Amino acid sequence: MAELEPAISARGVCKDFGGFEVLRDIDLDVATGTTTCILGPSGSGKSTFLRCLNWLEEPSAGDILIQGKPIGRTGLGRDAKRMARNELAAARTSIAMVFQHFALWPHLTVLGNVAEAPVHVLGRPRHEVEAEGRAILARVGLAEKADAYPHTLSGGQKQRVAISRALAMKPKVILFDEPTSALDPEMVGEVLAVIRGLAQDGLTMVVVTHEMAFARKVADTIVFMDAGRVREVATPHDFFANPQSERTKRFIARS
Amino acid sequence: MTWPAIRTILDGALVTAALSAISILLSLPMGLLLALLRWRRIPVIEGLLAAFVTIVRATPFVTLVLFVYFVMPAIGLELDPVPAAILALTANTAAFSSEIWRAALQAFPRDQREAAIAFGMTDTKVFTRIVFPQIWRASLGPLVSEVTILLKCTPAVAVIGVVEITRAASRVGAETYEPLPPFLLATLIYTVLIAVLVRSQRVIERRLARRMGLTPL
Ligand SMILES: Nc1ncnc2c1ncn2[C@@H]1O[C@H](COP(=O)(O)OP(=O)(O)OP(=O)(O)O)[C@@H](O)[C@H]1O
Ligand SMILES: [Mg+2]
Repeated sequence: MAELEPAISARGVCKDFGGFEVLRDIDLDVATGTTTCILGPSGSGKSTFLRCLNWLEEPSAGDILIQGKPIGRTGLGRDAKRMARNELAAARTSIAMVFQHFALWPHLTVLGNVAEAPVHVLGRPRHEVEAEGRAILARVGLAEKADAYPHTLSGGQKQRVAISRALAMKPKVILFDEPTSALDPEMVGEVLAVIRGLAQDGLTMVVVTHEMAFARKVADTIVFMDAGRVREVATPHDFFANPQSERTKRFIARS
Repeated sequence: MTWPAIRTILDGALVTAALSAISILLSLPMGLLLALLRWRRIPVIEGLLAAFVTIVRATPFVTLVLFVYFVMPAIGLELDPVPAAILALTANTAAFSSEIWRAALQAFPRDQREAAIAFGMTDTKVFTRIVFPQIWRASLGPLVSEVTILLKCTPAVAVIGVVEITRAASRVGAETYEPLPPFLLATLIYTVLIAVLVRSQRVIERRLARRMGLTPL
């Protein structure tokens, strides 16, 4: 079998905010069909890295490739020209994102949120998208909420809508930034169960999380970040049973 | 009051309503455009627009009308009284409403915009699909108050000879030596015009609230 391109890869990604280095030379490949969990202490740059993957933040150096194609720049390396804004927008359609605070669009119904980008960005026919959207909502247990507005939902329901919105794009990768951190404890389980189901279906996902038990069960790969660097990339088993660095050991012990 | 006297005032009412309607339709989108351009922070343009807004907001409306009618011809813009009145009203309300739009744009949740960008929307799409449908609702109340102020500014255009409600009423009062009836009628018409505006605002707000399952305010 031919070597599969990684769904997403980061090469030498650096980011600084006004001279303050947040990401230092990060390399990471995410294989198609796998779930990668990014762990690390607060402020280690996890969110920033995730946001560089779809160029919500522009990396100060390094390349991001989606199935081998650069995003953000028209080629590789620092000298490559930036993509035109509409080109970048188009490139982003293959990467969906789920945010910590849901970021639903409150003026649209649940189904409206799910159908918005497929209809208005991808230009697909509304009836088709809505039929798919209803199926996705049914799958995350929200069939009867299709016509409700976001403000009537619980946090857990909102996050499941946000996941449905991501799925409706049929993206190559879904990025999750602490999808359960803003939830009441009793709602964490329902959202993690949905993400776990997606992992079992073989979606490609990158999940920043503080939920160790979840990472252990669901991740194919665990990435440990600290102070803007990737300190360790391992299978969950190796990561928890046999951590390579002192820093990792302390992090695991503390969580 | 005789029928011709009433007709004079009603004609004035028509002028007031038409001036206001046209100026509202022009100034609100212009105010939004001003706000959007300033939001972009384009170096020189930002400064010019800020100066325009500051000056127009600081200038008494009568002065603005006189300026448009008597000073603009010097720079080659010669207007009849009615277009001059519309231009003055539009400039005034565009400047004031741009501040309302600007506040709404600044208060717009960043995470919603980011989500839209992350899902591949271009700037235009983000604005038309996500931002605008929300900010016009949020700004409806302040915009309607701005528009009632516009309506109440209209008598100032009498200084360049446009006969609107107030001018018509005082004319009738002067001719008949009975100012009370024409001014009562004038007041009644203003009240109706403003009531129509406020009422439409309520209806729109209530409809939106009902659709979204919110309790009406
Ligand atoms: N827009 C910004 N401007 C300046 N500094 C920033 C910006 N965004 C993030 N930072 C800084 O970058 C560092 C990494 O932040 P980031 O949010 O990526 O960390 P994180 O690992 O996601 O942390 P947490 O677990 O708390 O979410 C922090 O020190 C933060 O203060
Ligand atoms: Mg974070």
